[in-house]
Amino acid sequence: MACFNPVPKLYRSVIEDVIEGVRNLFAEEGIEEQVLKDLKQLWETKVLQSKATEDFFRNSIQSPLFTLQLPHSLHQTLQSATASLVIPAGRTLPSFTTAELGTSNSSANFTFPGYPIHVPAGVTLQTVSGHLYKVNVPIMVTQTSGRAGILQHPIQQVFQQLGQPSVIQTSVPQLNPCCLQATTEKSQRIETVLQQPTVLPSGPVDRKHLENATSDILVSPGNEHKIMPEALLRHQESSQYVNLPGVVFSPQVSQTNPNVESVLSGSASMTQNLHDESLSTSPHGALHQHVTDIQLHILKNGMYGCESVKQPRNTEEPSNIPVSEKDSNSRVDLSIRVTDDDTGEIIQVDGTGDTSSNEEIGSARDVDENEFLGVIDAGDLKVLEEEADSISNEDSATNSSDNEDPQVDIVEEDPLNSGDDVSEQDVPDLFDTDNVIVCQYDKIHRSKNKWKFYLKDGVMCFGGRDYVFAKAIGDAEW
Amino acid sequence: MAYQLYRNTTLGNSLQESLDELIQSQQITPQLALQVLLQFDKAINSALAQRVRNRVNFRGSLNTYRFCDNVWTFVLNDVEFREVTELIKVDKVKIVACDGKKILYNTT
Repeated sequence: MACFNPVPKLYRSVIEDVIEGVRNLFAEEGIEEQVLKDLKQLWETKVLQSKATEDFFRNSIQSPLFTLQLPHSLHQTLQSATASLVIPAGRTLPSFTTAELGTSNSSANFTFPGYPIHVPAGVTLQTVSGHLYKVNVPIMVTQTSGRAGILQHPIQQVFQQLGQPSVIQTSVPQLNPCCLQATTEKSQRIETVLQQPTVLPSGPVDRKHLENATSDILVSPGNEHKIMPEALLRHQESSQYVNLPGVVFSPQVSQTNPNVESVLSGSASMTQNLHDESLSTSPHGALHQHVTDIQLHILKNGMYGCESVKQPRNTEEPSNIPVSEKDSNSRVDLSIRVTDDDTGEIIQVDGTGDTSSNEEIGSARDVDENEFLGVIDAGDLKVLEEEADSISNEDSATNSSDNEDPQVDIVEEDPLNSGDDVSEQDVPDLFDTDNVIVCQYDKIHRSKNKWKFYLKDGVMCFGGRDYVFAKAIGDAEW
Repeated sequence: MAYQLYRNTTLGNSLQESLDELIQSQQITPQLALQVLLQFDKAINSALAQRVRNRVNFRGSLNTYRFCDNVWTFVLNDVEFREVTELIKVDKVKIVACDGKKILYNTT
């Protein structure tokens, strides 16, 4: 697949190289390894969500994420609590029953290849990162329909354990084998929170997969526990998705990181039921990371789009710098806007109230006032000149025709040289485009108006999608 | 020293955003972030030079050209990019190209 699209692999290798390269730097600065992991996570998430690469993490198996997708008929499945892991054909995974898990403290490893897996109730799962989660509700994990090998809707179950509140996270959706270590534990309170932390690139393709994907998380109605998982996957108003009554979050989380709470509150239809009893105490060492990840992923959740969700995040940022920057920018924008309005009013007043016989004066004035936009037509400039001429002519003599004093016009135009400047689409707008190529040039050749480009080592971005080239040869006519 | 040219790419921008977030949460210092970016410059330059092997041809009409500080900036219209596997058409593209010859001095 690398030959078809080398970009994901290249990006991944660059990220790895950079992270490894700065590992010593971080160590020298006395910064924790966790921060470096955070950086990597953030970076990968952003690249993934930028839709620059379609299959960014297609073949990666490094992420410990356990992604869940629920089938359409999940509620039916949940009704009948099965006690075994259902492994799809073609994959050999160990299966174990709830009974086995409940009675023994043994741990069983199983990999999640992205195919449907049914997780029975009562199973405690532990991700590779070490967090323990107990499944209160039997969950069936299915593979997303659509693009093979790509996990569209990573969903993480947030479980709470007494004494160890931990939040799940992270992000990078992984298709292929995730390892989960299932351990059995007994806990008095079982709280299951299901959410969709990560987000896939919010392009239309992904949304389509969202529609097709079985991402409902349903809780068996007979669940006596208060906490009900709620499907956060609600990008689309698809009937496939079912709203679950409540989401439980540990107040621990909220205390330690208000960002998560605010983000979650900003997300769709999420109600938080905080259960004091089940909350526990010391935040996990990795809590921050996870919370940040949740924050990030939920932020990128396509449910409400990026903008709306970002608001709470920014407001919750400790330094509040982005908010202030935003405000200042908005203020600046407003000020500019006011100026525009002022000039606009002036323009319109002049234009509508203009009593000049020359009809073009109004439009010319408009152009003149809007000069800062950088759009000036040569024709309008000429009109301006003619206007000035006509006014002067009116003052001096009757203005019967424009041809009365052609020589005078010419004489008056020349000093201004206004006709010489022709810029149809001036610089600010011209260079503003989404399609950019950043590269190096070997040679740029021109013959009359025929240009030849010999470029190398370039990264192209067309409409958000990235491409790379070692060499590029081009022709263009100016 | 490598060109900082590639910081304005998806990969580079996402790295800068991530670093900004860490700086805002005061997990890293701006100086460290700068070091990371320098490392990124090296890595991306090296990766493009060594790990990428494909060729692209393109044709279009040149709208503007600019050469300043040894950097070419072009704006082309109605361009077709042709690779072995695919054809991409864009109505407007901006090309920023630094000198590909050996770098003796580089601004940092």
